[in-house]
Amino acid sequence: MIRFENVSKIYPGDFSALEDINISIEQGEFVSIVGHSGSGKSTLLKLVYAEEQPTTGTVYFNDRPLDAIKIKHLPFYRRNIGTVFQDFKLLPQKTAYENVAYALEVSEGSLEEIQELVPEILDLVGMGDKMEKYPRQLSGGEQQKVCLARAFVRKPLIIIADEPTGNLDPNSTMEIMQLLLKINSMGTTVLLASHNKSIVDKINRRVIELEKGRIIRDNAKGKYAV
Amino acid sequence: MKKVKLIRTFQEGLDNFRRNGWLSFATVSVLAISLYIISVTAILGVTANIVLQNIQDKINVSVYFNPDVEENAILEIKNKLVGYQEIKSIEYVSKDQALEQFKKLGDNNPSISQALEELGDNPLLASLVIKANSPDQYDIITKSISGSTFSDSVSRIDFEENRMAIGRLTSIINLVEKIGLTLGIVFVFIGILITFNAIRLTMYAHKQEFEIMRLVGASNLYIRMPFIFEGIFYGISSAIIVMIALLATSKFLAPITEGSISGGDIFSFCLSHFFIIFFSLLLSGVLLGTISGFIAIRRYLKI
Repeated sequence: MIRFENVSKIYPGDFSALEDINISIEQGEFVSIVGHSGSGKSTLLKLVYAEEQPTTGTVYFNDRPLDAIKIKHLPFYRRNIGTVFQDFKLLPQKTAYENVAYALEVSEGSLEEIQELVPEILDLVGMGDKMEKYPRQLSGGEQQKVCLARAFVRKPLIIIADEPTGNLDPNSTMEIMQLLLKINSMGTTVLLASHNKSIVDKINRRVIELEKGRIIRDNAKGKYAV
Repeated sequence: MKKVKLIRTFQEGLDNFRRNGWLSFATVSVLAISLYIISVTAILGVTANIVLQNIQDKINVSVYFNPDVEENAILEIKNKLVGYQEIKSIEYVSKDQALEQFKKLGDNNPSISQALEELGDNPLLASLVIKANSPDQYDIITKSISGSTFSDSVSRIDFEENRMAIGRLTSIINLVEKIGLTLGIVFVFIGILITFNAIRLTMYAHKQEFEIMRLVGASNLYIRMPFIFEGIFYGISSAIIVMIALLATSKFLAPITEGSISGGDIFSFCLSHFFIIFFSLLLSGVLLGTISGFIAIRRYLKI
């Protein structure tokens, strides 16, 4: 589903973020990407949702090279992908409901579809009773649940989660991980970047470890550290 | 663009405008101040022009004819003069009309009417009152009359007495026009600059939202439209505020301008031109708001 072929990413100033990456991720996998800060985890994810372009090599999505997508078609490509971030990235002037609905509005979902899907998905993440709250009225864990709902509401092929639990307490962290597993069990690929050792160990799924921009380990059922 | 997108982005723009209360207030204020400066400059320019026009209209030269010249002869001369391109209008004032006008002046001054009664006969001369197209043409007109075939019939031309006044007035008018135009351009430029910067700051405040919207898969147009609508709301709100402020200002200034504009003072001028002023305000407000927004947002939409 996602394939990296000899991918390197060098940022201006000769900073090499990724070097010679070759990986392949299949539909329905749950992949954790681990490594120290600055090891290239976020860059690797950004290449998948085409926020960055590789310096050399090619990233394929369903056998289609991403660099062949025209800039004006990028929004359409991104609708295949749900993204979740450490800093939530919710629109501050919108309620939880409106934030989730926004993802459907931009892809021209009908009003009926929005009115049906949004409460359903917010229920799924356990936020059904706080739909009308603004992000500032929600706790970190609750905000992240809204983000997950927004990422998942379009039933994307893949969810990219960049340190989704980085700002959360252990309880919320567990809830978010369980939701990610639940979403994964419905067939959605999950790509998780994290340096939370305990959660990566607990879920016992594929682990790719990066160090200084290189893959140093790729275990089918791995732990955070060997 | 599809209708549903248009409706959604309109709603989005309206929500932004309402929910970002403080930011909207600040932006509208700045836009209103700019528009106010621009429109006050424009209205002052227009009024100054009208005032100057009125003054120019009051300037004329009178050509007085000797008492023995027949009315027919004067009218014949008048017909000849009508052909001059420098001359805007000529009015024949007969001896009797001159007397009437003089008596009117005497209404408030009993000694004038007394003096006339003493004389018994009408001592005044028939004249042609000539208005030129522009003040600097009086010189040419009087010269050509003095040098014409009928110059023998002319008793005197009162231009010489007015020459100084007309000359000074001409240079004042030219100066006022120049200063007005320069100030106008400067103020309009300042207004545009202030507005553009204010809107740029507003867009900067939305910076992170653009990133989020792109990540969620919104197209650039979909991201941009609400802010264009927001710009329209800024424009409409500030146009309304400025219209009220203008009416208040002109009401305040009305006593000073009384009589200098035909049809009353500056307040009645604003009232009688309400729609054209309001429409211009709306148009410039909306244009300023949307174009600044459009330019400001561009840098955040690069992928």
